[in-house]
Amino acid sequence: MKIGLNKIFILLAIMAGVAFADPIPAEALTQGGLVMRDRQLRDIGLVMRGGRGGYIDIGYTYTPSSEQLQLKSKYGVHDGFAFRHHYGIFGSWVLDSISHLGFLTWYERAGWDSQDFFFFPHYGDFAHISSVLTWGFSYTNTKLDATIALGLQHQNLEKAGWRVYPDESDSLLFYWGHARYKNVSFQGSFYRNTFQTLRFSLELESRELYGGAKGGYKTYLPNLSATVYRRKDNEDDKNFVRLNWEQNLYKQTVYANVAYDFPKGGFHSATLKYYPDPSRLMGFEASCLRRNEIGGSRELLWGGAIDFFVLRLAYNSAFDYDNMFRAKGTFIAEFHIDLGAFDGKFFGLGAAKAAPMETSNKNFDLNKFMKVRAEQQNLGSTKVDAQGNKVIEAKGIRYEKIDAGSISNEGGR
Amino acid sequence: MKYLRLFLCLVTLSLTACMSHVFIDTTTRLQVENKTDVTILGLDIISEDGTSVQSWIRDAIEPGEKSKVVEEDWVGTFKVRVRFEKWNGKSLASIGKLCVYSSVSRVYNTLAKQGEPNVFEKEVKGCGEEDVHMIYSETTLDFEGGSQYLVVSQDEDGNVAFKLK
Repeated sequence: MKIGLNKIFILLAIMAGVAFADPIPAEALTQGGLVMRDRQLRDIGLVMRGGRGGYIDIGYTYTPSSEQLQLKSKYGVHDGFAFRHHYGIFGSWVLDSISHLGFLTWYERAGWDSQDFFFFPHYGDFAHISSVLTWGFSYTNTKLDATIALGLQHQNLEKAGWRVYPDESDSLLFYWGHARYKNVSFQGSFYRNTFQTLRFSLELESRELYGGAKGGYKTYLPNLSATVYRRKDNEDDKNFVRLNWEQNLYKQTVYANVAYDFPKGGFHSATLKYYPDPSRLMGFEASCLRRNEIGGSRELLWGGAIDFFVLRLAYNSAFDYDNMFRAKGTFIAEFHIDLGAFDGKFFGLGAAKAAPMETSNKNFDLNKFMKVRAEQQNLGSTKVDAQGNKVIEAKGIRYEKIDAGSISNEGGR
Repeated sequence: MKYLRLFLCLVTLSLTACMSHVFIDTTTRLQVENKTDVTILGLDIISEDGTSVQSWIRDAIEPGEKSKVVEEDWVGTFKVRVRFEKWNGKSLASIGKLCVYSSVSRVYNTLAKQGEPNVFEKEVKGCGEEDVHMIYSETTLDFEGGSQYLVVSQDEDGNVAFKLK
């Protein structure tokens, strides 16, 4: 009976999630490129905190119903699917004991189409599909505890239905750079000779993963970042700054994240996150976002998400509102993997500690290994008789013709 | 472990959207039947502010006739405009726009009952562009995709009625 009730509640929740879903506005899709570029650089910034080892992130959002994330165009509401497919891979090689050379590539394809797909879109009349590819090289010096990364960022418009979307540049090339010294980092992305974003990050929180403290007051220091975004508004540059403040609230398992916009805008969003383990492979979050409505009115959007390492389920979460074309009022599932590693330690993006792993300390000793192996190979030919003596059976008999002189010599031994 | 692999394979398969293509229509194949006693000049999808128009059925449909089936990507809820040659009804709202020396005067006649599809007459003259004289009706229809059949008829009050099957 209990299980039956649970199922009914889940079904009701899913139905509510579909029935009250709000369509995504067409304008949000045309702004998708800069959202993707910024988030990729933010992720890269977090991975470059270590700057060595490896990192992999693969994700695929899944919205099963075509009425879940409809498109709101000037003509009405279109049935279809909003999607976000992404991957991020970073790998590094050890040049010498202190130098690590890395290569990274981040890719995301997002938009809206009348059919859902994995690789090959339907390209409907009202589809909007764009992608961003970020790649670059990194160099980390562990003695100085510094990282430098440089690369390019390609934004490509794959398809924008001519009936509802304004004209956009087909492909844009940006370049970016990231520099870190200890816990201070600076990041910039540029288009030709103008900057797009400039970010200054100060990670005061002490993280065990990067050689910091395991606990204590140092782990309660804030992580701050300020990003200057270049925005054009009626031909005037209306740049704005977004401040992000990440604060450890309890033992690096409970964090608060606040985003604040200057000079206009004010409070953007706040997220309370609970990671059962500081490695951030699993998490729960509750978020509150202040929406900018047309006509000046503003409302708060409350939501949350559960992240079970390979599946993230979110409802009205601030992250999805920002990164998935202002999607709200519906459950969004994302199948994903997000795993970083170095020195045999595993962790999620932005984690303070490595995942607790049951690792036995295996120091590989070649001599010992060869000895054991040799013993194993001899095992078949060695026997112990009833008296406890070792008996070695000959496997072949060799006759040798020898002269008498050598026999006497042999006998003298 | 075996079942996990099978499950993952199934998830991947359904994610490739091989499945959704089977039961989701991304286009609507529309046919319009004219049960009024006037000729329908065409059917368009119009934007909510009325400034953008995408025609769907371009051919005129004589009274009692059916249009050709035209397939378009309109699946969802849209504002539909049906243009008539003339209208023989009593509740007719007229929208006039008269441009004299670049000053614009509008005349709205809201005889038509709110929320019901009704017939409007629109007249734009001397605004520098092409003069417009159009008799039309607007309604919001929910196209589910696939084969759909729209019957346009006239009720006893003289109002236009739409029925989408």
